[in-house]
This record gives sequence, structure tokens and C-alpha cells, in this order.
Amino acid sequence: NNSSQLSSLPLQILFYVNGIYYIFYFLATLAMIIYKSQVFSYPDDFLAPDLAVLFLMAILEVPRLYLGVKGNLTEAEAPLGLSLGLTVGSVVLCLYLLLWQTYVLWADVVLNALLLSAYGLESGLKVTAIAAFVG
Amino acid sequence: PAETRDGAQARARSPPAPVTDVAKLCVCDLLVAQCDVNCCCDPDCSADDFSLFTTCSVPVVTGDSHLCSQKAAVYSLDVEANPPERIFKLIDQVNPSIFCIHATNYKQALYLKSPEMPTPENFDQLLKKFGSSSFSAEPDSWNLGTDAQNPPDANETYRYEYGVPVQTEDAFLRLPSPVVSSWCSDANPAGFLVNQATKCIRSVSVEKCDSIQALSMLFYINSSILASVFQVNITVQSIVVQSLNGMRDLLNDSDVLRLPMVLDELCINVVLGVNYHITYTDTGEIIEAAAAFVLGAISKEALSIEQSFEISFTQENTKPVPLSGNPGYVVGLPLRAGFRPQGYPFPAGFHSNKHNQLTLLQSTSTQDCLAAQGARAPVLFGYNMISGCKLRITAAMKCQPLAQTLLDVLKGQSFPEYVASFGNSQAQDVLDWVPITHLHISEQRVSNPLQSSCQIPVSLGIEVKWTKYGSLVNPQARIVNVTATITTTTLRQLPSGRERIIPVTSSVVFTDISSPAEPGYKAWPTINIKLPFDFFYPFV
Repeated sequence: NNSSQLSSLPLQILFYVNGIYYIFYFLATLAMIIYKSQVFSYPDDFLAPDLAVLFLMAILEVPRLYLGVKGNLTEAEAPLGLSLGLTVGSVVLCLYLLLWQTYVLWADVVLNALLLSAYGLESGLKVTAIAAFVG
Repeated sequence: PAETRDGAQARARSPPAPVTDVAKLCVCDLLVAQCDVNCCCDPDCSADDFSLFTTCSVPVVTGDSHLCSQKAAVYSLDVEANPPERIFKLIDQVNPSIFCIHATNYKQALYLKSPEMPTPENFDQLLKKFGSSSFSAEPDSWNLGTDAQNPPDANETYRYEYGVPVQTEDAFLRLPSPVVSSWCSDANPAGFLVNQATKCIRSVSVEKCDSIQALSMLFYINSSILASVFQVNITVQSIVVQSLNGMRDLLNDSDVLRLPMVLDELCINVVLGVNYHITYTDTGEIIEAAAAFVLGAISKEALSIEQSFEISFTQENTKPVPLSGNPGYVVGLPLRAGFRPQGYPFPAGFHSNKHNQLTLLQSTSTQDCLAAQGARAPVLFGYNMISGCKLRITAAMKCQPLAQTLLDVLKGQSFPEYVASFGNSQAQDVLDWVPITHLHISEQRVSNPLQSSCQIPVSLGIEVKWTKYGSLVNPQARIVNVTATITTTTLRQLPSGRERIIPVTSSVVFTDISSPAEPGYKAWPTINIKLPFDFFYPFV
């Protein structure tokens, strides 16, 4: 019965894809940071912020996805709104890794751009879902 | 004014900014304001210069190849055109790898770090960071007490190795030697088994001669050498006293210590030379040390004297015989000579004279033959020598005694009969010794043969013929023939009251009579084919 179901299927699919893609993204970015520290001159006081941002983003991703899934499935707007807020934080961290990292490789640009587009699409679908739940 | 000085200081502090524009970078531009050959990026070159180039030594100038896209200056020569011209292109080089650097936010990412310029403010911090023990102001390792090393255990024997300084109870056994200039420095330690002979100059003054330590015997024998369980005292082996005119006398009693003292405007008992003889065992322990002194006198006018020092090491229970080569003679080592005792062909071997050497008259400063007796120089292999003296003939001199005296002056006290053909010839090997051939040439004077002829020897020439012996790559010198030629001249009677001076010379010449080497070839290898005896087994 389509009319009684307010949960967004595309959003749910996107959450799963995001989760899988994020695991790949995290491992790839970590591996590239290790590669950069070996090949280029990467002093410790430049390496620390980059790693901190990456791990912070990983820590944020877990509650973000959980809250999003929970909100979408229970059709509750509060968790979904919270997830949206966390998404904003993740977007900022992703922008940092895209623009203000010490060394931005072409692979970094590709990965971060994909992640940003996923976040953007997710945010749009979340807003629609919240609007559907509220209204 | 203060501003320009500060500005200049600030400019001097920071290094010049690096050139990063690819179009302006030129590694082969080495000559300032001049065109470098085959350097296509040189801004000093004109089109005419480019037409003479053959290639471009620097074809591409790029930045770091890790960057995704970078500017590159490409230089090439278009040889088709007439005249050849240089082509300069500024292109964008793209790195296709996905791991190329898209951007960096770290300024020194792809450049070497400029070192920090030291200023009075950051000097201490830089010194602490980069200065190690070599730059610190008070190094820990410079303890003044390290000179007095831990004394060896009483049970442990003190063994020396080659080159190790010989230790005494306070420091090292000193062998004064010239350092940088000819003045004596007392800080040169004697190394174990290193035979040394040094000569140096010391400044003296007769008034203070008993207070200058280095002129007294005590300075050289008061320290005892650390060796094995006990300490070895340096004993006085002999004392030779040298007078002001150079005559040396061996003293009978060498037990009495003679210290310098002032006597009649002279200072006597001044140490002119020390000769240390150290005896050691085959395990490297020193068991005996003796010093032979040459004491002399210095007069009031003398401001400096020359001291000579020598140290030699002998293994106990051995009497070293110095060889002049092994087997061929070594250039610069003395010729070995000797006598054959009466009663040959009994295999008695040879006796060598006191120094086993063939000696030559040594020229002295007085140049008077009759006063020069005694001073002789050894003949060294390969060194041609000539020496001489002047003989003053008066009317009263008789011919025969004069001739005999001159012969003694030329030949020396004991002129040997045989010379060793190899540097290491043993006295038992009679065939290894070459007899000295004597020749006599007389200069006949045509005038008046009726006068009684009295021949006096005026020249001794020794010619040593040697040859190269042995293998082509390592030839050894071998003496083949020694000829001593005495030239005599007629001594004319002089009217009384007149005197004549004639020169007397002696010389030694070494001639190489080696025949050209004949190469010897190894025999061609032969093919040795032999069938085993059971080769045709079933049929034979």
C-alpha cells in the first residue's frame, strides 16, 4: 500500500550504498595518507590534523547512518533531523579533506567528490522525507 | 645610517628566494654574461650562437613530476632550418597517474627546507638542537684526568703492540723531535717497535744552562717505563763526551750522573744526543731500557744547539744483522763487504770489518787530507759519491811515508777484499761474494824521466757494476763486479821553502750492466689423449 508508507525507499538504498562506499573511502584515504607520508615530506604537525579529521569523520558516520536509517524506517523526523545535522558536519570534514589537506591527490579529489555528491543527494532526500513525515 | 645597516643585515640573514619559474630556470648556464655551448636555455645566447649548436644539453625543464599538471619548458634545435634555430615551447605536462598531486597546502612540500639562519636570539637553541659533542663549549670528554690512565693490575702483564706509545709512570717516553719548524718539541712519544731518529734545534743560553731541563741527563732517564709487573728503569749505557772542536771520547765510568754546569764561560755536560735501546720479549713486554748519551759543551756565543735522538728496539737474545736488501740491494742501503780469512778453501766464511761496510773518504770542513783521518762515509748502493781533500806538500816531505799516508787516507784503515753480491748474502756462501779488483793507473809525466820517480796516489775510483737479476716484474739488484782504481802521479822535488797543494779525490760510481730481459714463454699445453685400457672391452 503505497500511500500509507512514508519511508523513502531511495533514501534507504542510498544509506546502504553510503555505508559500503564509506568503508571503502575510509580505507582508501587512510592508505593514501600512509603512501603520502612515505613518498613526500609529511611533517608530523601536518599529518596529525589530516588523520584527526579522517577519524572524526568515521566516528560521525556511524551515528549519522544509524539515526538516518532509524528515522527513515520509523518515519520519525527527530532522528532524521539529527542525522541531517550530522551530515552537515560530515560535509564540512569532507570539504576539508578535499580542499585543505596537505597533499590532495587526484584520487583524493575523485573519492571526496563522490562522497560529497552522495551526501548532497542524501540531504535532499532527507529533507523530502522529513517534509513527508511532518506533513 | 642605522636603517640601511639593518636592511643589509636583514637581507644577509635571509637566503635568496628560489627560482621557480620554469621558463627562467637554466641549469647549463654556467658562464655569466657569456653564451654556454649547447645550452639552449641560456638567455645570453643570440640567434647566431644557436645556429652553431649541435644538440641541446638540457632538453626539458620541468618542476616536480608528481604534480598532475605542470608547466614545462621544452628546448630543441631545428636542424632542418638553415641556419639551425632554437625552438622554445612552454607546454603543460600532464601526469596521467591517479596518484598525482592535485594541490598542496604545505608550502615546502616539494622544496628542500631552507636552513634557519643563526641570529643572536636563536643561536643557543640551534646549538642545543644541532650541536653535538664536537660543537659544545665544554665537552664532557675533555677530562684533564684522562691522561693518567688506570694503572694496570698488578697481576696483568703490560703488553705493547706496534705503534703504541711507550708509557712511563707519568706520561710517555719522550723522543723530542721537530714539529712544523726545526725547534724541538718534547711532546713526541716513542712508539713501540718504531725505530726513529730525529734531530732538532733547541735554544740555549750559557747563563741559564743548568736550569734548562732538556739539556740535562736527568730529564731523559728519570722516568721509568711501565712494563710487565714491575717498572723498568732507564739505565745509562755509555757516555761520550764531545769537545768543542768535535772530538769524541768515550768515558770509562758511566755510572756517575753528569749534570750541566757553568765553567769558565762554557757550559759543560750538555746533552747533545740520546740513543735509547729498548729490549723486548717476543710477547711484547719491555724488559730493559738503556740510554747512550753524547754530552758536549756550549760556548757563550751559542744561541741554539742541535740535539739528535734515536730509539731502537731489539728482541731479547737476538743480535740483529741489518741486511742491505732481500735479496737484491735496495738503493740507499750500504754495501756489505768483508775479508776472507787465511786458510781458504776451508769453509770458514768471511769476516766483516767493524761495520761490514765499504767506506769512502768523507770530505770535512778543513779539507786537509792529513787532518781528515777517521771520518769516513759508507758507500750506499745506487748513490754515486765523490769526495776529496787537499794535500799540502812541502819540500821536507819524504815520498814513501807520504804515499803510504795517502793510501791510508783514500782506502781507510781496513779496506775490504770482498763485496756481497746480494743484499742478504750470508758469510758462509763464499760464491755469493765478489772480490774487489784493484787497478793501478799512473799518470806519467813526459818531462825528465831521469828524475827519481816517486808515485803518490791522488785518486781512488771505485766502480761497482751491477745487473738486474730475477723476474721481469720484480728485478733484484745484484753486484757483479767491483773495481778499485788507484791513480798515482809523480811527485816532483820541490825547492825548499816552496809548497804545493794538490787535490786528492775518491769516488764511487754505480753502473748498470743489465742485459736486456729475455721473455720466457710457457710451453704450449699438449693434448693428452689416452684411451682407457678397457675401452674396447667385450672385443679385446
